[in-house]
Amino acid sequence: MLEIKDLHVAVDGKEILKGLTLSIAAGQVHAIMGPNGSGKSTLSYVLAGRAGYDVTSGSITYNGEDLTALAPEQRASKGVFLAMQYPVEIPGVTTLTFLKTALNAQRRARGEKEVDAMTVLKTVRARAAALKVSEEMLKRALNVGFSGGEKKRLEILQMSLFEPKLAILDETDSGLDIDALKLVAEGVNALRSPDRAMLVITHYQRLLDYIVPDRIHVLAKGRIVAEGGKELAHELEAKGYEHIVGKAA
Amino acid sequence: MNANAHWLDERRAEAANRFAALGLPHRRIEDWKYSDLKSALDGANDDGAVAWTVGTLPEGVELFDLSNASAAPDWVKAHLGTLPQNAMASASLAQARTGFALRAPKGRAIAQPLSLTFAGHGTVRGLVVLEDGAALTLIEIGPGVGISNLGVEIVVGANAQLTHIRMAPHAGAAVQVEEYAATIARDGRYCAHLFNGGSKLSRAEFQIALAGTGASAHLSGVSVLGDGAHADVTTHIVHAVGHTTSTQLFKHVAGGKSRAVYQGRITVEQGADKSDSRQTAKALLMGERAEADLKPELEIFADDVKCAHGAAVGDLDANSLFYLRARGIPEAEARNMLVRAFLEEAVDEIADETIRASVWQAVEDALPKAMQP
Repeated sequence: MLEIKDLHVAVDGKEILKGLTLSIAAGQVHAIMGPNGSGKSTLSYVLAGRAGYDVTSGSITYNGEDLTALAPEQRASKGVFLAMQYPVEIPGVTTLTFLKTALNAQRRARGEKEVDAMTVLKTVRARAAALKVSEEMLKRALNVGFSGGEKKRLEILQMSLFEPKLAILDETDSGLDIDALKLVAEGVNALRSPDRAMLVITHYQRLLDYIVPDRIHVLAKGRIVAEGGKELAHELEAKGYEHIVGKAA
Repeated sequence: MNANAHWLDERRAEAANRFAALGLPHRRIEDWKYSDLKSALDGANDDGAVAWTVGTLPEGVELFDLSNASAAPDWVKAHLGTLPQNAMASASLAQARTGFALRAPKGRAIAQPLSLTFAGHGTVRGLVVLEDGAALTLIEIGPGVGISNLGVEIVVGANAQLTHIRMAPHAGAAVQVEEYAATIARDGRYCAHLFNGGSKLSRAEFQIALAGTGASAHLSGVSVLGDGAHADVTTHIVHAVGHTTSTQLFKHVAGGKSRAVYQGRITVEQGADKSDSRQTAKALLMGERAEADLKPELEIFADDVKCAHGAAVGDLDANSLFYLRARGIPEAEARNMLVRAFLEEAVDEIADETIRASVWQAVEDALPKAMQP
């Protein structure tokens, strides 16, 4: 589903990703781990199409299509979803209005029929309960005054609502206590499906106890330096990044 | 106005003298630093006549046409031309050939809003009197062409409440100056909301005296400016006595080569302890050619007061824009959502749902031009 080949990405003229190669098949969950500053968030942003992240060489192919040629909104409507590490607060935009607008924009782009406010509300309500996203949160301005945990739960709620084909979770565990982490992981696990691929970006092994990945890649200094199965996370936890990164260097 | 009305002749003569002494405002006067009235008047159409009409007159409201000054009732004579008058207000008093005077009598809460529409252009004088305990909503609309100078005095009695909506839709090459001089008595409340859709030069000036304990003034407004527009909101709120409150919230969206100006001076006079004032002005610039000058000013001569002010000029937040787009919302729609979200806080100051909806409609009409860089 996702094929990244020898990807080089620069931000403000500085090369952050230096030849990253990665492929994820439908139905698989992959994890990217790595020390701070290794390029994890850069990878997530470049996949979602954020301005200022320049692909200088290499390719990103998503379902056979060049992903880099698409605007962020086109990627979203084709099923790419990024759960952000720092979801922005947008005063003046009600959460529920935002969810309806986004859902219908995606549906419109795919040539599907738009859904009315009542149907959106029903769907959101049904999915919000499991993630402990309250009715009151949905009425508030988007992410405004939400705690870290609430913001992350809303990200997962969006993922559940938009039903993406490729979900990228950028440090979804950061700032979560253990209960919130379990809740978020349950939400993610509920969305595992044979036609959906997931890329979980995390600094710590902790999240991967709850979202067990098929494959783990270690990103350091802009490249994948090690790969393995779920046991790699425990090795990293025990020995630290330096051990793996140093060995690869 | 009728020249036979002796009382008015005197006040007009005084105003004419005052205008002659003060002269046409120019940019060397601090209050007019950002708005070049003289240049704007060059080539603008001043050959016309202005007319005002009221919609259905709500029961209980008295309306008097100042053209018939000799028949003016006492309440008109008691108030017209009595509040402090700056140069342009003096000019409107001296020169106006037409005008309106409205009164909501003592203790009458008028539920039905009164709409006042200006057509054509020229000089108009107005007086709005709310006697003690009265309540009224006044909606002023237009005008939209040529040169206009509108001067209105507002008297809010004890425990009275005036809600004042000023709608200045997009008016192309028009030059519009409006001065509102208001005095608010004990526990009186004045809520004004200004919508400006942009013209060659528009200036709305509010001179407000919080004259009685418990008096409050709440000013809000939005300017939605397309290429070539210049909108100036200038306010001066005087907390003359203690336990008075003022809030101000103005938001501007400036596109093309447009300019938004906000100058807000708050004076807390000696002894006006426990005064509480807040003023916020923000501008969103849609391109590099747009400009905003926001200048909050505080003059505090009392000790125990709360005064807060803030001003911010910026462009659309790139993080927010990316977030919305990453959720599938096309760029134009996402930008529109963010601009509306920016304006919402100020439009929400309008309590009446129907009026708020009509202001939103005016915002929607003006936005496409203002969204152009």
